[in-house]
Amino acid sequence: MKKLNHKGYYFIAPFFAIFLVFNIYPVLLTFYYTFTRYEGYGKPEFIGLENYTRILTDGYFLEAFINTWKIWGLNFALQLGIALFLAALFSDLRYRIKGIGFFRAVFYLPNLITISSVAILFNIMLDWQHGSINMFLMKIGLISDPINWLNEPATAQISVALILTWMWFGYTFIVLMAGVSGIPGELYEAALIDGANRWQTFVHITLPLLKPIMLYVMITSLIGGLQLFDLPMLITDGLGAPEGSLNTMVLYLYNQAFRYNNYGYAATIAYALFLITVIFSVVTFRSMYRTNAKKEG
Amino acid sequence: MKKRLSWSLLLTLILGVGLLAGCSDSGSASGDGDEADDDVLKVWSFTDELKEPIKTFEEKNGVKVELTIVPIADYPTKLKPVLESGVGAPDVFTGEVAFLKQWTDRDYWENLSQEPYNADELEGDYIDYVYDLGKDSEGNVKALSWQTTPGGIFYKRSIAKEVLGTDDPDQLGEMMSSWDGLFEVGEQLKAEGYRLFPDEGAIRWFAKGEDPQPWVNEDDELIMTDAKLNYFDHAKKLREKDYTAFAPEWSPSWNASMSGPIAYNGGWEEVDEDAAASDKTEVFSYALPTWGLHSVLKPNAEDTSGDWGVTTGPVPYFWGGTWIGIYSGSEKKDLAWDFVQMMTHDEEFLTDWAKETGDVLSYKPVNEKIKDEFSEPFLNGQNNYTFFLDQAKKIEPGIVTKYDQQIDTLLGAQVLEYVDGKKTKEEAIEEFYKQVKNAYPEIKTP
Amino acid sequence: MKTEKKSLNVPVNKQGLKKKRSFSRKAIYTLLILLTIISIVPFYMMIINATRENQAILGGFSFLPGSALIENYRTMMDYVNIWNGFKNSLIVSVSVTVLSGYFSALTAFGFAVYEFKGKNLLFIFMLLMMMVPGQLGLIGFYELNNAIGTLDTYIPLIVPAIASPFVVFFLRQYLSTTLHPSLLEAARMDGAGELKIFHTVALPIMMPAVATMSIFTFIGSWNNYIVPLVVLFSPEKYTLPVLMGFLKGSQVATNLGSMYLGIAISVVPIMIAFLFFSKYIISSISAGSIKG
Repeated sequence: MKKLNHKGYYFIAPFFAIFLVFNIYPVLLTFYYTFTRYEGYGKPEFIGLENYTRILTDGYFLEAFINTWKIWGLNFALQLGIALFLAALFSDLRYRIKGIGFFRAVFYLPNLITISSVAILFNIMLDWQHGSINMFLMKIGLISDPINWLNEPATAQISVALILTWMWFGYTFIVLMAGVSGIPGELYEAALIDGANRWQTFVHITLPLLKPIMLYVMITSLIGGLQLFDLPMLITDGLGAPEGSLNTMVLYLYNQAFRYNNYGYAATIAYALFLITVIFSVVTFRSMYRTNAKKEG
Repeated sequence: MKKRLSWSLLLTLILGVGLLAGCSDSGSASGDGDEADDDVLKVWSFTDELKEPIKTFEEKNGVKVELTIVPIADYPTKLKPVLESGVGAPDVFTGEVAFLKQWTDRDYWENLSQEPYNADELEGDYIDYVYDLGKDSEGNVKALSWQTTPGGIFYKRSIAKEVLGTDDPDQLGEMMSSWDGLFEVGEQLKAEGYRLFPDEGAIRWFAKGEDPQPWVNEDDELIMTDAKLNYFDHAKKLREKDYTAFAPEWSPSWNASMSGPIAYNGGWEEVDEDAAASDKTEVFSYALPTWGLHSVLKPNAEDTSGDWGVTTGPVPYFWGGTWIGIYSGSEKKDLAWDFVQMMTHDEEFLTDWAKETGDVLSYKPVNEKIKDEFSEPFLNGQNNYTFFLDQAKKIEPGIVTKYDQQIDTLLGAQVLEYVDGKKTKEEAIEEFYKQVKNAYPEIKTP
Repeated sequence: MKTEKKSLNVPVNKQGLKKKRSFSRKAIYTLLILLTIISIVPFYMMIINATRENQAILGGFSFLPGSALIENYRTMMDYVNIWNGFKNSLIVSVSVTVLSGYFSALTAFGFAVYEFKGKNLLFIFMLLMMMVPGQLGLIGFYELNNAIGTLDTYIPLIVPAIASPFVVFFLRQYLSTTLHPSLLEAARMDGAGELKIFHTVALPIMMPAVATMSIFTFIGSWNNYIVPLVVLFSPEKYTLPVLMGFLKGSQVATNLGSMYLGIAISVVPIMIAFLFFSKYIISSISAGSIKG
């Protein structure tokens, strides 16, 4: 192996060449803005650490942080739960569920529509007087009065989380299935012959071998989730109504930059978000590997 | 082995070169285009209303004009990098009142007060507030507008006759000329099962137009007038007295309410099923500006054409408007100026334009000639053109700041929270100040 | 591995399993069909609305198609040539998918197979860069392309796909479960070069994962709106989402039927391509699992 040491560089060289050209400059520029007051027009004005002291005492940012976690957390729990359940069903040799190709494709469909169309669609469906969701729920008797979904903080957050789940459970399912398909079929056959029950098969074969892919799902969903903004922006007034409950971190960043022209402060929010993401990713990595170590030990 | 490995690098290079070649191909193509483009005038806007004028301009001058439309939500995002760097910029671009004031103080638009444009000489030809909005803080004209967009109250004549005994715009305007009068009309309508307005947001323009002062003064202080404080109370009253129909602007209910009765729930906690099923109501009137007639009412209420009228509310106001100017870095300023001139003070063109589209012009010389000819069938023959010109004259110039769009939005959101009962008036006002301060740290709030 | 040990002691109870299975299969299919309906309904509504008149759409939902399809199509085509945008989107998205798939596999292979100085540092660096919120980079990105003269070309849309950290991350994770060092050793013994090993051994193993990621890459690129909006100027180069934005700014926007038709035209073909494509992936996935 030692001989081959330098060979790896050739394989990753194209990636990093392009990466440096197209990503580094914008990122460094953004970092410079964090020390400035900059309207996005003309020249940035250097103001030292003012933006950093501001963000530490900014109640709206804290609120955005909490909102983001609430929405993402609920969405992720549901999405991963559904996807794992489906993956377990389809990988179970005993069920021999037919039409996996069909279902996998169909479950992914919601992800094909652009987010702005999704927002338009759900705006109409969630309308509290004429929306089809209320009409449907009242018809089947689940609720007796129409619910004004997007007018109360709790229901607004739940609505957004559910829409996100709807959009992404198929994606997570596909990714998990790609991982499952990498698991040698003999293992399942062996388990079947040995009479392991479904739960045992799932816990002792599927889950451990899915771990790298699960890590991928968790990290990418965390990154994507913490950057959540277009749906909350498009489905309400763009300010995170009602009562700021849909004000997520990136929506806040977006509004500071493009609505109020505080580029310097928006850049600072970007870096705060970056830091938060790094911290939680490290925590996720660590905890995944710790449980891993425990299992093996 | 080394050689083979460098294959991947070679491949990258080949691909890269291929792409670059492709690019330089297209680059040179567009380069050639540029030369041939010498008489192509590039115009950017956020609607397609310039499409017809451009055809006229092309025919008249024997040139080609390329119109690029960017949806209004993305318009500033698209323009900002282009105008900042000057690469790929248009020769002429329009601005909506929402971001107009942010742009007039930058050097994006050519200063039209200087030679050879001398736009200052035209001052008297335009409606005051329209002309004034196109100026920067030093008084130089940066952009002009062909239109004026004052507002009024559009109402349904049949309901007016039934409830108020008359459908005459003047008499109705008289009835609604004060807040008390407005609420009195609301009360009478309610008694007959109608609703005065679709929702509480309808009165925001009156609140803004009453006691007109800029949101932020020269010392960067936020000015909270009594009129704006009263906006909270007026809106709350509309809701509590059931003068509105829970149909917020641009919502499906709002669109539907224009053509007929809509389902209505007076507060969802107290609705029982039978009532919800039978409870329908009809909205009487809408606060809309000039363009509201053509782009909102007509498409939504085709079947009720002729049953509409327009009258005045308690306070004159304006809503929206498009300005047009020349990009300061343009290489075809002469041609660009020709186009702007045609759009804003070519009598022949503007006369045709107004007659065809019903757009109310800001250019007085043409208005004087044509205003009496108008008779709008949708409004039962009423002359809305003269009506709106009268309104335009009453609008105070010089009170729009670059902050208006955002601060109005923030205020509206807090008024709604108060109306919904989620906050007390004091809490809502406090939150409003906090949000203004957060958005614009330089502004001092009371 | 624990299961293997346990297996010796667990008696097989086939009858019990059978009973349970036939009961829950019904429930499972019901659930799957429910999820299918939830996933499909919006598309159905969209296609139905594309055939209805504006007034009818404003009036409410309907599950039956209208008769205004041709009229809606004419209204739309009066303003934009949607098929040209379709062609542009196809050029961009296919290039992006191919580049991203190939170079990500290459990079993931480099990371997964070789030991070299700074490997972990570079990988972590890549992960870190994934976490930078992109919204603010737009101005810098524009200035960069201005500096290297690539504005109003497809380069800023296509070339950055060579560096797709998310895909590299996924493929590396995938390789760590599927690629056995013994396979590489065997190939090396046969005297194959490293790049050949990548092409003949690693790439086929990665194909299901690359195909899976390709779907996401393709769709992400197909729906990308803000970057093409900012870097493209010439209307004839516009991609579909930008063209749809163009439509939204025009009078067509008041004709909801035409808007829905536009959305449908931009979605339905990839929907069909996707359904077709996913069939191919299944076969490659099952092929992969047999090998593994």
